[in-house]
Amino acid sequence: MNNKLSREEVLHVAELAKVRIKEDELEKYQIDLGKIFNDIAKIDDVSGYDDAIIISPFHEDARLRDDEEVEEVLVSDILKNVPCHSGNYIEVPVVINE
Amino acid sequence: MSNYIPTIGIEVHVELNTNTKIFSNSTNGYGMSANTLVNEIDLGYPGTLPLLNQEVLNIGIKACHVLHCKIRHEMHFDRKNYFYPDNPKNYQITQSRTPIGYDGYVEVDVDGVKKKIEIEEIHIEEDTCKSAHRKNVTLLDFNRAGVPLLEIVTKPCMTSGVEAMKYIEKLREVLLYASISDCKIEEGSMRCDCNVSIRKNKDDPFGTKVEVKNIGSISSVGVSVDREIERQAALYDKGESFKEQTRRFDSKLNDTVLMRVKETGNDYRYFPEPDIPYIHLTDSYIENVLSSISMLPDERREKYKQLGMSTVNIEKIISNKSLSDFLNSFLTSNIDMQIASNLLLGDISSYLNKTNKSICETKLTYDKFIDLVQKSSHRELTSKNIKEMLVDILESDKDIVTLMKEAGISNITDEKEVLRLILKVIENNGESVSSYLEGHDRAFKYLMGQVMKESGGKIDPLVASTILKRELDKK
Repeated sequence: MNNKLSREEVLHVAELAKVRIKEDELEKYQIDLGKIFNDIAKIDDVSGYDDAIIISPFHEDARLRDDEEVEEVLVSDILKNVPCHSGNYIEVPVVINE
Repeated sequence: MSNYIPTIGIEVHVELNTNTKIFSNSTNGYGMSANTLVNEIDLGYPGTLPLLNQEVLNIGIKACHVLHCKIRHEMHFDRKNYFYPDNPKNYQITQSRTPIGYDGYVEVDVDGVKKKIEIEEIHIEEDTCKSAHRKNVTLLDFNRAGVPLLEIVTKPCMTSGVEAMKYIEKLREVLLYASISDCKIEEGSMRCDCNVSIRKNKDDPFGTKVEVKNIGSISSVGVSVDREIERQAALYDKGESFKEQTRRFDSKLNDTVLMRVKETGNDYRYFPEPDIPYIHLTDSYIENVLSSISMLPDERREKYKQLGMSTVNIEKIISNKSLSDFLNSFLTSNIDMQIASNLLLGDISSYLNKTNKSICETKLTYDKFIDLVQKSSHRELTSKNIKEMLVDILESDKDIVTLMKEAGISNITDEKEVLRLILKVIENNGESVSSYLEGHDRAFKYLMGQVMKESGGKIDPLVASTILKRELDKK
């Protein structure tokens, strides 16, 4: 496997992670991320690899909950934890204009 | 229509009929004040863990069954990662690699031709919160966050707006009857996204795909798809190309409007959800869940047909599940189902609409309805009588015989007596009889009036009219 990521790949990862990378940092990330990806790729070499291990290392089924209501958190308490609100609504900056 | 071959695939999201949300025990409700049906899990607070609502799994199993899908016995959830304030965890818990159902179909009838619309997959997932965009801010209501959804994805197998509309109609009907969702498109509990592309020849690769969202009614599904096909055809005819894009349907413009161009594909970086272990479904568990599904629409259609109901009445009854459920209690009771359905669709429906009640909220019991239908088929009760007694029939505990006595209804059902009265009217109204025989319809109406007057309104007008005509035609 190639040890170095391309400039475009690093910029794409940065965009997904919402981080800004300076031009002079690109080369370093191309090498560092390449090493990380190479290490992760070694998982493919493990014999008897079982997908299920990733989901849960325990041989345990998911616990299921009964469909019964429990009282919600008071809206006044929710609003104490948000920086801005308008009436009962939580107010956030516009991310995408639709 | 254009000289292109359209290809349409549809993704439908339906909110499920559960009491609580998919991963938290806050209420699954609609129309409440913002952020009042919310807890820490719905808000994605750090340290909270999802716990799957068993009813969601059960409804998912039912949906797979009624949509003829194979049910996956081992499944897990996945995280779909994206950054947007409608989901503060920054990921949606969904199913990517192991959808609960796959390889199913819905059979539709387009102009008398049956076609199977193939379903590729059914996923269980959580809904996001509702965002309202204002000038400089976005307002968030988390009541919808964590509401359980099924995403039902077809193969790109439809070729017209009509087919797309028929598919949504049939899907909605089946999901309603299996109590999976209330499927209210106008309230957003059923949302349809149509992927539309066109190509010149069957062997060409698929054309550029356009996703049409924001479709607010079943009829708009057909219109929006057809308008999009026409729009794309016009562009290709002019030699123009276009990028993959998302458009919304504007019902006022009756056309699709650009929302955004997809510059790059989404990169959701799916990975298995580590907070929810595997789910194993045994055959006996599935069997037990499926035992609670009530009779589905096509089976009801067949039964009603066998019992002599007209096609028009069958379709009207099927379009109202509570009436159909009510009528299903009488499938083995030997009553005249055409008369029974006429009663339900006529005066009873008018009353229910006027009072905004469902039939189970009235006092129309099993025995009372049987009596009503039988007295109606034996002409002991006329439609006029039923109209007059309707409020008492539906709102009082009294039986039909008592109500008839109280209303002084004792109709003449003996055919000999009816005949005697009719012959008397004919004898006393020679001039009108001659006028009728000369072809004047008004004379017949006059004679009918005389018969009803002579009987004190106690003869079923339909019976009187048949016998009167028969006797006049002998002249």
